[in-house]
Amino acid sequence: VHFLFSFRAMASLSEEVLLVVKKVRQRKQDGTLYLMAERIAWGPEGKDRFTVSHLYADIRCQKISPDGKAKVQLQLVLHSGESTTFHFANESTALKDREAAKELLQQLLPKFKKKANKELEEKNRMLQEDPVLFQLYKDLVVSQVISAEEFWANRLGGVTNTDPAQYKYKQEVGISGAFLADIRPQTDGCNGLRYNLTADIIESIFRTYPAVKQKYNENVPHNLTEKEFWTRFFQSHYFHRDRINTGTQDIFSECAKQDEKGLKSMVVQGVKNPLVDLLSLEDKTLDEGYGVCGAQPSTSNSNRTVKESSNYAIIKRFNHHSAMVLAAGSRKGETSSTDGNSRDSDFFQPPVKKVKLQEEYEDLQQENRPKTVPLNLKKSDRYAHGPVPLQSQQYTTSQDIINSVNYIQHEMANYKPNLTQVLSSTVATSAISALSPGGVLMQAGAQQAINQMVPSEVQGELKHLYVAAGELLRHFWSCFPVNTPFLEEKVIKMKSNLERFQLTKLRPFQEKIQRQYLSTNLTGHLEEMLQTAYNKFHIWQTRRMMRKT
Amino acid sequence: MPSGTGKTISLLSLIVAYQRAFPLEVTKLIYCSRTVPEIEKVVEELRKLMEFYSKQTRESNNFLALALSSRRNLCIHPEVSSLRFGKEVDGKCHSLTASYIRAQHHSNPSFPVCQFYEEFDAVGRQVPLPAGIYNLDDLKDFGRRKGWCPYYLARYSILHANIVVYSYHYLLDPKIADLVSKELAKKSVVVFDEAHNIDNVCIDSMSVNITRRTLDHCQNNVDTLHNTIHKIKETDAAKLKEEYRRLVEGLKEANVARETDVYLSNPVLPDEILQEAVPGTIRTAEHFVGFLRRFLEYLKSRLRVQHVIQESAPQFLKDIYDKVCIDRKPLRFCAERLQSLLRTLEITDIADFSAATLISNFATLVSTYSQGFTIIIEPFEDRTPTIANPVLHFSCMDPSIAIKPVFQRFQSVIITSGTLSPLDIYPRILDFHPVTMASFTMTLARTCLCPLIVGRGNDQVALSSKFETREDFAVIRNYGNLLMEMSAIVPDGIVAFFTSYVYMENIVASWYEQGILENIQRNKLIFIETQDAAETSMALEKYQEACENGRGAILLSVARGKVSEGIDFVHHFGRAVIMFGVPYVYTQSRILKARLEYLRDQFQIRENDFLTFDAMRHAAQCVGRAIRGKTDYGLMIFADKRYARADKRGKLPRWIQEHITDGSLNLTVDEAVQLSKHFLRQMAQPFRQEDQLGLSLLTLEQLESEEMLQKIAQVAHQT
Repeated sequence: VHFLFSFRAMASLSEEVLLVVKKVRQRKQDGTLYLMAERIAWGPEGKDRFTVSHLYADIRCQKISPDGKAKVQLQLVLHSGESTTFHFANESTALKDREAAKELLQQLLPKFKKKANKELEEKNRMLQEDPVLFQLYKDLVVSQVISAEEFWANRLGGVTNTDPAQYKYKQEVGISGAFLADIRPQTDGCNGLRYNLTADIIESIFRTYPAVKQKYNENVPHNLTEKEFWTRFFQSHYFHRDRINTGTQDIFSECAKQDEKGLKSMVVQGVKNPLVDLLSLEDKTLDEGYGVCGAQPSTSNSNRTVKESSNYAIIKRFNHHSAMVLAAGSRKGETSSTDGNSRDSDFFQPPVKKVKLQEEYEDLQQENRPKTVPLNLKKSDRYAHGPVPLQSQQYTTSQDIINSVNYIQHEMANYKPNLTQVLSSTVATSAISALSPGGVLMQAGAQQAINQMVPSEVQGELKHLYVAAGELLRHFWSCFPVNTPFLEEKVIKMKSNLERFQLTKLRPFQEKIQRQYLSTNLTGHLEEMLQTAYNKFHIWQTRRMMRKT
Repeated sequence: MPSGTGKTISLLSLIVAYQRAFPLEVTKLIYCSRTVPEIEKVVEELRKLMEFYSKQTRESNNFLALALSSRRNLCIHPEVSSLRFGKEVDGKCHSLTASYIRAQHHSNPSFPVCQFYEEFDAVGRQVPLPAGIYNLDDLKDFGRRKGWCPYYLARYSILHANIVVYSYHYLLDPKIADLVSKELAKKSVVVFDEAHNIDNVCIDSMSVNITRRTLDHCQNNVDTLHNTIHKIKETDAAKLKEEYRRLVEGLKEANVARETDVYLSNPVLPDEILQEAVPGTIRTAEHFVGFLRRFLEYLKSRLRVQHVIQESAPQFLKDIYDKVCIDRKPLRFCAERLQSLLRTLEITDIADFSAATLISNFATLVSTYSQGFTIIIEPFEDRTPTIANPVLHFSCMDPSIAIKPVFQRFQSVIITSGTLSPLDIYPRILDFHPVTMASFTMTLARTCLCPLIVGRGNDQVALSSKFETREDFAVIRNYGNLLMEMSAIVPDGIVAFFTSYVYMENIVASWYEQGILENIQRNKLIFIETQDAAETSMALEKYQEACENGRGAILLSVARGKVSEGIDFVHHFGRAVIMFGVPYVYTQSRILKARLEYLRDQFQIRENDFLTFDAMRHAAQCVGRAIRGKTDYGLMIFADKRYARADKRGKLPRWIQEHITDGSLNLTVDEAVQLSKHFLRQMAQPFRQEDQLGLSLLTLEQLESEEMLQKIAQVAHQT
């Protein structure tokens, strides 16, 4: 949705104000920032109205200036792509003010994000994915040639029909295997550690460890703040894989157990590819008690030292982590391995196994093509250009040729110029000049150099104009035949849109190229198209008038 | 040469050609391989060969070739085949197919039996399996179509099949060989593929470990036997009498068979016994149970020791005679006697009696062999001296005992592998005289392998996994650094092998502490082998998935582990293998020490030679995982400075040795990275058929050309 700065009256009394920050500058004007239940607003000092007001649902994200910058700023980026920057100007408390506003927004925004129109997201996504569409949007909507509703009017059909399919097949972005490594703990100087956690990393953690996500959903708003949750996470043995689970107070001990269970179920399921199944590899294993097994240490847990079991835990956790990252990367978390079916349903052979067993070198296979003689070219240029093949009906016998030669010789011998019927010299001269390079009839040859004649930025602009005009004309022409009142209304509106386009976009461009002394007929075709549309409109209008009268 | 270079097909085509030319001289080919996928691959190769034959000769040949595997892989009974472990499947199968069960079914049709077996037993033996190539799945298909049990069908059919492919346990393990392979024709050719570990297989099949738990189980078994005997005595005393009569007759039948050379001799049951009757002391069922009891009590008392005891078999026999008056002779019949008793008592669940079987096998073995075995009783594990966990190891030290019957019986035995190196040690440890020995290298159109020996870190610290430096942080850090650098430049999969689980766990832990693993995770996902096979299988599958979808992954694994022995890392599943350290076996083990001593005394093999040989064959196995054919390529990084020494390097297979240049003997991590980058870039270029033509791919004309024939002759002479 295109956002127009709305000038609203002061919030009604019913609106709850959550935070008021004074001395906030916006566009070099001092003022006050209000955070309310559903929107954020700013009003200049001494005025009783808001000049800036954004619904939370319209805000895509907030950005803050890095610490240590002179200006303490907070930027709101809207779904429409616009942004508003607030500068916290109160010298003593600027940073604190900004933090307070940021914290509050951080809590508020996610709530509204869910509410935000799904359609909006869809549009946003379309704009992001399609740069041409985005340009068009900027050209037409942002510069207010047509309204956003009109712009989306006949695209939304596409949004709802075709795009979801596309969306489904869109490849999901996987997770970096090392996302935990990216949370570099830094010492903050006073015996503490600081972890940097970004939204991406949190997302990765949730996708890799669903158990943590579950804990988060259970605990975060009610029992713990977000910060506390993550602090505990980093303190837990769960994050530090070499620490062995000792206490049960830790909220993450359950996660570890769940992981263990998951891992176990994966192991019990067994593998689908018989070629990597170590259990079925050996044909005849020795019975228990036979064989030399002296060198192997026992694997029972009771005999393990603390260090050994901690090492073992690390190994298990790594396997689990990698498996989960892999699963999160594949679609819907289902681990789709490439092969056929399980062992016990052996009514047909697992295809992968069969393929693997019957693998063969390609180069050993007999070629199916008939044996060819390699082409041996003496004169390759003759091969490349080649004599033009004769058509069968063009064949002439040598007698024909001799006859025709005789005939031509005869004609030549008897040739007499007929001087009364030739062109006058002036006409002939003009014809020659028209046909020589630079002449009127040779213009086509010169014109193709447009990409050399016109600077690239003008070309770009021209391209945008073409796209925009095309879009508008498409809207316009799609109204015909005009058989409903709605279409009637639309066609009139489109006509005025076209005129507005010509006025606000095309004219300035024409003036610009005139200033640059470029050939003006660059826009000739555009104008022609517009003119055709106008003509059509006039014909339609006059006909309608006639019908009315 | 590694697999994928045509080893199997060359052997098969040669032997099959011979079989076709002299059908009376070579009646059967017995092809033994190691794992189920390898067995299946051999059969597929054979199928191709046969297709080629029938295409060229334009007639269908009447060869019958089949694969044989355990019930677990062949069973089609809906209930039984859904069980996951081989032992369960065997037990369940037995409880549906044993002779007395079927007899009971005869009188009471509601008694469950396996209808597939019944069907097979009724009609399956009359018509031989039609000629053709049967893989495991083909057998199952066939079985399903006919309603016959594929397992018993296969076991029956190997007797008249031209080619049999199965695991070498079926020939080497006396307990199984006796059941499955004893009637195979003498004029067979036996091939042991992937035989670099054959000595260990032999030793494993003849060794027994007895713990307190085994004894407890056995005690239960003996009690069950006792009770059953009592019950039967009340109801059906005639049955026991009949058994007694049979035992007096002795094992004469078996003796007749062996004399006519029909059977493969069972080393557990030496010839002499067959001529005698079962000694009177254990002939009646009750006496035998009492005998077992006494033996059990004796073993229990032996396990109550406080210090380590090592003794030979004669010493053990003398002691048992002194303490509980058990003679050597009845001990030797123990295994046979127990089998006979179990049959007579109609015990359904043989799996339950595994402990008693184990003990009786031990009794037979210990009284049969005075040489080549040692008995070690350890009251506790070395690492946990406070926890009592007594184990009696009856350990075979001479692999030739198990393989001797094979050499004696069959006219030709071929031992082959991609990594038999050095060749001359195998005849010594297996105690045979080879007719011919040859080692072949590969002809490559491009050098698709790049062995590098990284001996130093960037800080010039010598890299080595030797005992003195393995805890050294500098070494661990440099190892981590190597892996990290490699993870940044190698596409797709990297496999890294450590010398042992303990070592790997320690290194992973300290890499984690130092944050090295996190940095590696930036480039690739990390999967780690554990001691749990199911867990490792899952990690492996995920590893392959990660390589498949382009994320790339690292598998940390262990030399001598399951992964290093059975899993191939074809193409992008393994673009680099890093061997951290030299995988020496754990040398403090008493069993190993005893074996080394035996090797030194009997075969004049120095301890160090054997240890290095053993370490290098495992290292070669590990790095060989990555190259599986000429179109494949991969880096092989030996991260230990000791690999540069001639005695280690010389024991690597020739096809790896050839490509180690003097320039790549003692690289730093950085240098290795530079060389690897160059290599990988070169290998990534398209590899077309034309590049190989005349080198690793020959047309018929080229093959028959004078020049090529000379070249082949030259290669043959070299070896």
